[in-house]
Amino acid sequence: MTNVTDTADGAINDARALLQTLMASDWREVHVRSGGTEIFIARDGGGSNPMREPAPVAPAAPTASPAGAGQAGTGSDTVVTAPHVATVVETLPIGTTVTVGQTVATLRVLDDTETVEAPVAGTITAVSAAVGDLLDFKVPILSIAQNA
Amino acid sequence: MAIKRLFIANRGEIALRIVRAAQALNVETVVAVSDADRDSAAARMADRIVVLGPASATKSYLDPRLVVHAAKESGCDGLHPGYGFLSERAILPRLCKEHGVAFVGPEADVIDALGDKLRARAMASAAGVPLVPGSECIASAADARREGDRIGYPVLLKASAGGGGRGMVIAHNGDDAEAGFHKASAEAVAAFGDGTLFMERFVPQARHVEVQLMGDGKGKVIHFGERDCSVQRRYQKLLEEAPCAAMPDHLRAQLHQSAVDLAASVNYRNAGTAEFLYDVQRQEFYFIEVNARIQVEHPVSEMISGFDLVQEQIRIAGGADLALSQDQVKLSGHAIECRINAEDSTRDFMPSPGRITKWKAPTGEGVRLDSHMSEGAMIPPYYDSMVGKLIVHAPTRAEAISKLRDAIDDFVVEGVPTTLPLHRAIIDHPDFIANRIHTRWLEQVFLAEQARTAA
Repeated sequence: MTNVTDTADGAINDARALLQTLMASDWREVHVRSGGTEIFIARDGGGSNPMREPAPVAPAAPTASPAGAGQAGTGSDTVVTAPHVATVVETLPIGTTVTVGQTVATLRVLDDTETVEAPVAGTITAVSAAVGDLLDFKVPILSIAQNA
Repeated sequence: MAIKRLFIANRGEIALRIVRAAQALNVETVVAVSDADRDSAAARMADRIVVLGPASATKSYLDPRLVVHAAKESGCDGLHPGYGFLSERAILPRLCKEHGVAFVGPEADVIDALGDKLRARAMASAAGVPLVPGSECIASAADARREGDRIGYPVLLKASAGGGGRGMVIAHNGDDAEAGFHKASAEAVAAFGDGTLFMERFVPQARHVEVQLMGDGKGKVIHFGERDCSVQRRYQKLLEEAPCAAMPDHLRAQLHQSAVDLAASVNYRNAGTAEFLYDVQRQEFYFIEVNARIQVEHPVSEMISGFDLVQEQIRIAGGADLALSQDQVKLSGHAIECRINAEDSTRDFMPSPGRITKWKAPTGEGVRLDSHMSEGAMIPPYYDSMVGKLIVHAPTRAEAISKLRDAIDDFVVEGVPTTLPLHRAIIDHPDFIANRIHTRWLEQVFLAEQARTAA
């Protein structure tokens, strides 16, 4: 079972990787800015969080699709992307109404298949991956317009 | 069947090195990248990239299923693992075989056998290769004391599944051996999930020498001379030379023959390195292990032999016979390589990822740079910090040192600290110039002196 990848998941993966790197090193802290994500991790006694120092910024708008990740639907749709490299076995068609956790796509890695689940309830508005496509990590599979 | 499209399951300088070798053979290239490496030099140069997963290596470069799937589905008929990552994990050639992709390396069973140090020692012993006096499996602290007493102190406790210095403890007496057993075993469990230990006599002033091998899996094995990799910090090599100038010719011939015999005894296929401990005082060498992959320091062997080992690897993986006989391998001159890491050697070698703001590399006859870096390139924090390898070749060791000194002086890197100044200081040290070094020289003598000077 695989979860849908979005920017938040990407940032969490980055944070995990950085945490591993920090723990394996002699560093006191690590601060990385990349694309739209900025991460700061410190040990006890490490430096202060530089992101806290400037004037507070407005909370991020709740858009789901990351800049540059390829827009598969309209701006407010939730884009479901490949969690890692995989081949598309099946996707639900445009217009399908889905609930949270429902399987919306099946992917294959070697001889194993795995499912991709809907992160939101709504209607599939676009399918951008064709059966048999080899998808790179983060490539959009389909978009879901969330129920109001 | 020659490989037509090669999948490169690695990153950094070695990915670029493999792309170049493949292109020289008119082989198409597909480079695997993580999300952090989409814009790497190898990615830009390859015919195609496949993005395996996020930056975290465990979810990209270290996942054998993703790697083989991407290779197969992108139409590759060969896969080069480079070094590190999955290069010595038998699962990779196994999956490749199952899915019809030629693996650029040895058979899975050979990797398994060589990767287990106790089995590798048994194989070496069967092939008549000298071993450092040591023990079988050590099962308890009492075992450790008994075996230590028998072998003679100091001894080294090592993890059977180990590497990189983890699960390794020196014991100077029986009490040390008992305490060391608990420490090394715990470390080995944490690092490798396997606490099995063995014990060896510890040679306090040893050199690390290794023989570059190439086999075709059809019974033919040749060597490309030896390398001396005695400049090490925490068991990590910093600077490598070829040949080992401290070894007399008659011993060198025995060393080469031992390495070839060992590889031939397992019908070794592709590039490999047999590593030995060279006890200069006793004038003896002992087998350590075989690394079943191309190594970081392979360029020094290429420089003294004139052959491209990565191209040879790709040809052999495509089913070709070894095109060379041992007589055709003529070794000449002396080569030195320094590994340039983005590390601050004045702050305990702290890795310093970041962006390269200026990069002006030296050029010239006998100067080679294997690097994926350029001005504006990023060193991501997720992986090792190597930014390249500077290699020089000259008729003699003294001339090679002098050429390396000039090359380092001409090398401008800004934006991140590197180990270039450290290398410059190492090759200026009287012990290095006189070739009076050993595997603990850097830590015990050189770095200790530097620390005193700084204090």
